[in-house]
Amino acid sequence: MTDLTDKNKRATFVPGQPDMWAFVLFETLVFTAYFGFYLFYRAKSPELFLHGQAQLDLRIGVFNTLVLLLSSWSVARCVQSARVGAFRAALRDVYITAACAAIFLFFKVFEWARLVRNGNGIDSSDFFTYYFFLTGIHFVHLLIGFVVLGVVVYQLRSAARRSQELVETCATYWHTVDFLWVLIFALLYVVR
Amino acid sequence: MSTVVTPPESGSNAEATPPSGPTHRRIAWHLRHGPKRELWLAWSTLVVFYNLFFPMVFVVAQVQPPPAPAWDLATQVHYFHERHLGIPIGLGFIFAITGMTAVNNALIAYSMRRMSISRAFGYSYLLIYSLSALPGLLLLCIALIVATLRPERDPKVLGWLYDFAFLSFDGTMGVFLIGSLIWMVAILIDKNRVFPKWFGYLNLCNALTEVVVAPCWIFGRGVLAWNGQIAWWLDMVVFGVYQVTFIVMLFQMIRREDFGTGPMPDLPRKRATAS
Repeated sequence: MTDLTDKNKRATFVPGQPDMWAFVLFETLVFTAYFGFYLFYRAKSPELFLHGQAQLDLRIGVFNTLVLLLSSWSVARCVQSARVGAFRAALRDVYITAACAAIFLFFKVFEWARLVRNGNGIDSSDFFTYYFFLTGIHFVHLLIGFVVLGVVVYQLRSAARRSQELVETCATYWHTVDFLWVLIFALLYVVR
Repeated sequence: MSTVVTPPESGSNAEATPPSGPTHRRIAWHLRHGPKRELWLAWSTLVVFYNLFFPMVFVVAQVQPPPAPAWDLATQVHYFHERHLGIPIGLGFIFAITGMTAVNNALIAYSMRRMSISRAFGYSYLLIYSLSALPGLLLLCIALIVATLRPERDPKVLGWLYDFAFLSFDGTMGVFLIGSLIWMVAILIDKNRVFPKWFGYLNLCNALTEVVVAPCWIFGRGVLAWNGQIAWWLDMVVFGVYQVTFIVMLFQMIRREDFGTGPMPDLPRKRATAS
């Protein structure tokens, strides 16, 4: 009987609060709609979108993607460390995640400034409207991510507070931000 | 957190539970003695408001979905001319029921007072939404009615009223953004289990779509204009899901309310088999 209960528990287990997965699902649906509109307008004016994509620096896109994937890896390590009670290592991993996020934001702002300087502003063409919109809304998600990482630090710093469930919930949010970026990167930079 | 509402006196046990019997008798009992009747009245007001608001704004006045911001003056004048009767009737009706929003906001603030959190959350929500009714609803109605009142006005004035009305409406999205975030934080840190945590995260989803409305100040056409597929249509879908969800959540909260100060009890589960 106990075995069966354990098996059922394992079968229904998701990291962190199951409630956060409702957020992941809903945000994924909303972003699917954004991508749908992007692809629809891209299909209507492929030349214009290709021209816009050619103005992007693929190297910055690839670098930022690698940095964000690294941040996801470090937040996963944080969860693992917290699970085995290695809280100092977990804290170090959160700081690495935050540092990666800061690097991502710095290069994103640098890329925006470079594009605007070259005359590719938010209202210069339909492609750049989508480019600034998608990267901008992702930027907002990442800024919220700093608050989320702050919650992880707050949890890990005191033995009285440490909630593994909250740490995993926050890590789930972070992975969502990363996952959305990979899709945005593929659509804006790679698919031509 | 102090007691929100004094529970019924223990001496009146005969009146503390609803009688069994026909539905109308039970309803009559709830109306006369039900400890939650004020809460149900507030919730019903919320439902009545939205059931009147949408037909009046969308069907009678036909000012939503919003028209294109890039229209020229002649098309804008024609827009008001076409609605010279619908706008005064529909939006005039909205004037009559705008006060109901105060009750709606009060019920949401009540939900926050029932939580194990500072009262500052509820008061902030109440204050911010009370102020937003002015530009978000009343100024929109006034500008559109003024524009239809004298069709012989200078088209430039009508064009000004057209822009003012719809930008005034969109300008309150920041209030909805902060309001949703206040409710989200309240739900996530609450220990009284007034709402499930996923509803807190849904508030975040709603807040994030409010951000998307901001570019309408820049765009006169396209998906991010005030009538755009993303800034209006997609946001409306998200807001619709959010609105139906919070009406159901408030309904469940009232059903679970025990007028205590600790965690809210769960609803009794329905019996799986008839005993």
